[in-house]
Amino acid sequence: MPKNSKGREVAEVVPGKCIGCQLCVGECPVDVIVMEGGVAIIDAEGCIGCGKCVDVCPVAGAILYEKSRKKKAAKAAISCPIDEYKGVAVFIEVQDGQGAEVSWELMGKARELAQKLETKVLGFLPGCNIEPVAQEAIAYGCDVVYTLDDPLLKTYLSKVYGKALVHLCQHVKPEIMLLGATSLGRDLSSVVATQLETGLTADCTGLDIDPECRLLMMTRPTFGGSIMATILCRNYRPQMSTVRPRVMKLPKKDPDRRGEIHSLSFEVAEEALPKVLDFIPRTAEAGDVDIAKAPVLVVAGKGACDAKNLPMLEELAQLLGGTIACSRAVVETGLLPHSRQVGQTGKTVAPKLYIGVGVSGAVQHLVGIQGSDKIIAINTDRQAPLAQIADYALIGDYQEIVPQLIEGIKARTGKEASRG
Amino acid sequence: MHIVCCVKQVPDTTQVKIDPETNTLIRAGVESICNPYDLVAVEVAVQLTEKYGGRVTVISMGPPQAESALRECLSLGASEAILLSDRAFAGADTLATSYTLSRAITKINAAEPVNLIICGKQAIDGDTAQTGPGIATWLGYTQLTYVSKIIGIENGTITVRREVEGGCEIIEGRLPALLTVELELSSIRYATLPELIRALRQEVKVWGAKEIDALPERLGLKGSPTSVREIFAPPVRGGGTAFDVKERKEQATEDFLEALFQKDQTLMDEILSKDSHAQE
Repeated sequence: MPKNSKGREVAEVVPGKCIGCQLCVGECPVDVIVMEGGVAIIDAEGCIGCGKCVDVCPVAGAILYEKSRKKKAAKAAISCPIDEYKGVAVFIEVQDGQGAEVSWELMGKARELAQKLETKVLGFLPGCNIEPVAQEAIAYGCDVVYTLDDPLLKTYLSKVYGKALVHLCQHVKPEIMLLGATSLGRDLSSVVATQLETGLTADCTGLDIDPECRLLMMTRPTFGGSIMATILCRNYRPQMSTVRPRVMKLPKKDPDRRGEIHSLSFEVAEEALPKVLDFIPRTAEAGDVDIAKAPVLVVAGKGACDAKNLPMLEELAQLLGGTIACSRAVVETGLLPHSRQVGQTGKTVAPKLYIGVGVSGAVQHLVGIQGSDKIIAINTDRQAPLAQIADYALIGDYQEIVPQLIEGIKARTGKEASRG
Repeated sequence: MHIVCCVKQVPDTTQVKIDPETNTLIRAGVESICNPYDLVAVEVAVQLTEKYGGRVTVISMGPPQAESALRECLSLGASEAILLSDRAFAGADTLATSYTLSRAITKINAAEPVNLIICGKQAIDGDTAQTGPGIATWLGYTQLTYVSKIIGIENGTITVRREVEGGCEIIEGRLPALLTVELELSSIRYATLPELIRALRQEVKVWGAKEIDALPERLGLKGSPTSVREIFAPPVRGGGTAFDVKERKEQATEDFLEALFQKDQTLMDEILSKDSHAQE
């Protein structure tokens, strides 16, 4: 137990555990806690050792304080009759008339959660002419699909889809609702959670059930991916969570699976809604590809940020049926567009093969590539963070190594890189 | 036109490093900055007032130190800054945060109608992208997220380009509207010396729960449905084999390829068969 110069026993924050929620800052009766660099720091000289900060701290062990005190559980102000809520629901996103792959990935996860809770998997499917998607949902593991088929739901609008999903939640009352963290899913989930006044945890990488309290444990990277946090939503329902595409495994489709389909209807008040005037698809011709979908990525970093060597990296990528991407530093020089950026402020990718060329591997970059099957680093520095975590690290000058790789791969596959 | 921008002071996550010995986060000494996405929001708001007239009010919820983020926004050309700071706000999740900000905007709106709210797409410390849509929902404003271009404002309607799955859409919506903006929307100007001086001298108002007429049970920890149960270091990928090309030249590259094609044969077969399939 630390003491200050007055000999008083004081509380001390453990920096690695503090999550920067600032609760203690607000609680301290003598105002001696300040935030510095995202963590709370207690001025020992001013601390009166009352322990109020310990009571309010949501993380066990984040504040060192010896005198044991009973933690008062934060009581919910507005609570909700949680026993009325049953089932694990998945919002089924429709892309080009078909169910989005991420929705089926979540269906697999929902099955697993429902098994632990001994409950059903529910599909929430708002859209227009979606009967075939409902059938597909059952094949992917859904027990009951609730559809809202309405011409108003032909194009996505936050307000209309928000109303539809809120309607489904109020009618069906699921205890858990999962959505894909696509741009649509992220936009929609916040609208629905705010209207239902329930908890929402974005971009979860892990979902599980606490066997004791039957609560959904939602784990997500935070603080730029440098720490993981497990979040609970104790007193409100549904417990809502979004998950990025390709984080959960796609379950096997079983066309013989049986399930129920209920079609519901809802009313939207006449009001001035936004109008989608045009949709411009991303096309390969415009050099604008979705790097998140490529099976192989050759990623240029600061150490390989040179226009004259770009064709060489492209050749390597093409040879392996992949495409090129880059780190943030490269986007900042203007060599490649933001759509090619991997990492926290760019895209999360999970290719089969990730080849980082001159990428040092900042935390923000590494968090975006965690899902890759194999990581290869080409770097002059063995100590670079990416070279440290890579499955294979090639230490040397990339201008020398990349041509050797191209030759070596050509020799093994017996084909030329040039493609029409 | 009156535009409100919501900004957040965040730790500069690019400075965060992992202690290789203990595998814990080193956050001490990390600077606090204004969330980069929010600076784009302010820049764009100022550009819009330069084009259409009007003024920009910036607001932020946070501890007293968050004032410095607001001053940075003033130096970019915002006219007024309000800090929402109160012990009652502490521990807020995105629901309580969006409620608090929406109450403040309601008060600002009563004094001078707000036509547009601009927020950054997300904050770099939490990355949730939930607060903007939350505010729009509380206030009933038209919600336009992931905006990468503002095409124009005419007759009470705003037209923007939004980044969506598989492309982008051009969409128009009635004002008042809330936009969340992408980094690529605009680069940020360098503040001029007179603007920097003004930003330092100008008053930053501080509002608490009373000033914004908020329901205490919807604020801070009490108003937050989610709570953190635990935090831990992310799983680390174990390092693999290194091949020293500096020393052993082509032989090292060749050894690597041998290893890759032998040990990871299944993976390489998948990659290469997929490739040839795509070629057909």
